Amino acid sequence: MDSFLTGTLALFGDPLGVTIFFAGLLGGMLFGAIPGVNMLTLGAVLLPFTISMEPVHAVMLFSVIYCSGVFGGAITAILFNIPGAPENAPTCFDGYPMTIKGKAGKAIGAAVICSALGGVASAILMMVATGAVALWAVRAFGPQEIFALLFFGLAVSASIGADSLWKGWLSVFAGLLIATIGTDPVGGIPRFNEWTLGAVGFKSYYLSAGIHFIPMILGFFAVAEVFTQATNIASGARKRPPAAIEFPSMIEFWRVRFTVLRSMAIGFFAGVLPGIGATLAAFLGYSQARHWSRNRDNFGKGEIEGVVASETANNAATGAAMIPLLALGLPGGALTAMIMGIFQIHGMEPGPLIFANSRDLVWVTFAAMFWANLLIVMLGWLQTKTVVHILRVPFRWLAPGILILACVGSYALRNLMIDVWVMFVAGLLGYLLRRTGYSPAGIVLGLILGKLGESAFSKSMQLMQYDYTGFLSRPIAASLLLLGLVVISTSVIGELRGRGVASLKRSGEE
Amino acid sequence: MLWVALALIAYAQTSVFDQTIREYAYGPTGWPRAICIGLIIGASGQFLSRLLAMRQGAAMPERRTDSASARQTVRQAAFFLLPFAYLYLTSRIGFYVATPFFIVALLLLLEVRSILVLGMVTACVYGIALLVFTRLFYVALPVGRIEALYDINTAIIMLARSGL
Repeated sequence: MDSFLTGTLALFGDPLGVTIFFAGLLGGMLFGAIPGVNMLTLGAVLLPFTISMEPVHAVMLFSVIYCSGVFGGAITAILFNIPGAPENAPTCFDGYPMTIKGKAGKAIGAAVICSALGGVASAILMMVATGAVALWAVRAFGPQEIFALLFFGLAVSASIGADSLWKGWLSVFAGLLIATIGTDPVGGIPRFNEWTLGAVGFKSYYLSAGIHFIPMILGFFAVAEVFTQATNIASGARKRPPAAIEFPSMIEFWRVRFTVLRSMAIGFFAGVLPGIGATLAAFLGYSQARHWSRNRDNFGKGEIEGVVASETANNAATGAAMIPLLALGLPGGALTAMIMGIFQIHGMEPGPLIFANSRDLVWVTFAAMFWANLLIVMLGWLQTKTVVHILRVPFRWLAPGILILACVGSYALRNLMIDVWVMFVAGLLGYLLRRTGYSPAGIVLGLILGKLGESAFSKSMQLMQYDYTGFLSRPIAASLLLLGLVVISTSVIGELRGRGVASLKRSGEE
Repeated sequence: MLWVALALIAYAQTSVFDQTIREYAYGPTGWPRAICIGLIIGASGQFLSRLLAMRQGAAMPERRTDSASARQTVRQAAFFLLPFAYLYLTSRIGFYVATPFFIVALLLLLEVRSILVLGMVTACVYGIALLVFTRLFYVALPVGRIEALYDINTAIIMLARSGL
């Protein structure tokens, strides 16, 4: 408690620190909430400026951007069907249908409160148990468990956002295949950067570095949405959603209390595990909410529980993701990797020693994340009252802005035009896949988890000397693999028994 | 069929990088090949599911036949092609010169005809991009390869950063 108070005093007692704190808070919320850019764009363009900053200010700035950016990304997901970050993708599934139904205010209100709840609880966990939790995560979770968790996560999340189980799995496999482009994680051998089809050959050095997931996300969501809406405008099918600012009631929150608690637990768990991060947390939170909900048939049609589950889980993962970063030097996602970069720029190495060598810095970061999550409620409430009115602006006026910002957002990551090309190609593919019932969110999930999955699998195989039964000797890995297999088997049987008929009938009716 | 074809092509391409890694028996091809097999299983499952559904009497969904006019189709195609034309031109004539034309072209394709709206939206979007990314964050956007236009691009950058 003393350390927290010291951190808070250090944060608010320093005028420059306060300015940077609020700049980060507003910057993260704004960049998260503007379709076409996101917190990673902000992080990428700000990173060079941190060289001239005090280390404590630089780390605090990025930690605050992380909290507020994850929340901000929910706003574009809800209003425009464009998630600000991959962890906001499941928020689209019910958030956007709520907007169409004139419940945008309710959806954003739920996102504000649940993001703050998840974030605050996660920040408290981070302050109380960083060392112990990090050690547990590393001891209990080796490559076998990480691989098993990813397998389980994909098994339960694969069909989300697709018309059928098969289309969901095909989307995930497509993402996994895209993730193999680049170099293999063991030998560093380039893959798929050289193609030969008959007499035609093609080689690209760019592909040796792999395909960055940010242009893919911007393409699959932002560009594809602009293409979809442009088509609707051309055919006269687009109706402007009503801009309602009604907040969810206390009774509505009380009804979803178990979903909030479950998603918090999922968020902590996924966030704490090195490399897993908030994306899988959000997908798992959403799929589990759908599984246990009484209103599971309403999921995907504008169910507030879906927004609550996804936003609680992804924000609960933000604080938790700082635990392996600070205690062990293992980043859990793109923004935490940037924070690690800041430490290294300033000559520090995150790990157990950081608590002894830079205690002040650690506690200012903890305090900043705690207060940032609390302030999300207040600023988020104000933002809800204002941002919903963007819906009053005709989409045809917004579309050029979304595309230009998406172009700059893709380009600014690595200063490569090819990233912008990738974004537009992904946009076109995303448009076609959406029309045919496939899940762009599934592709992005596969893309993000693919590299991690392959790395964990190859390490597992080397450790177990290629003996697959080695998984069975590790209780957590065995349980997760078994659960994943059960989920896959039951869903395949269910699909073959009757859902295929239902989906065909539905499609026929449409 | 498309998925199976994609998986087979990708599988065949793995032979290009089929090398031995001393410390890893599955090599660089093991994982991508497993994914290709997964794709084929998924595609087969989808086919089987449809076949079973048809046997159980469900009608095959009719393909959507959009009764779009030729004009609409052309406009739609133009909307899809315009971003690629913009990208092609941006690396040659520069972001700062190409962008206002791109915005106006997009707005026209989206049936905006009011000159006031065309001007205001273009100015707002272009202004925000200049202010945030060029003035505030110093993002080095492409300035093109054609000399005269390169000069115009750099002049716009100087203007955006003037007073700093």
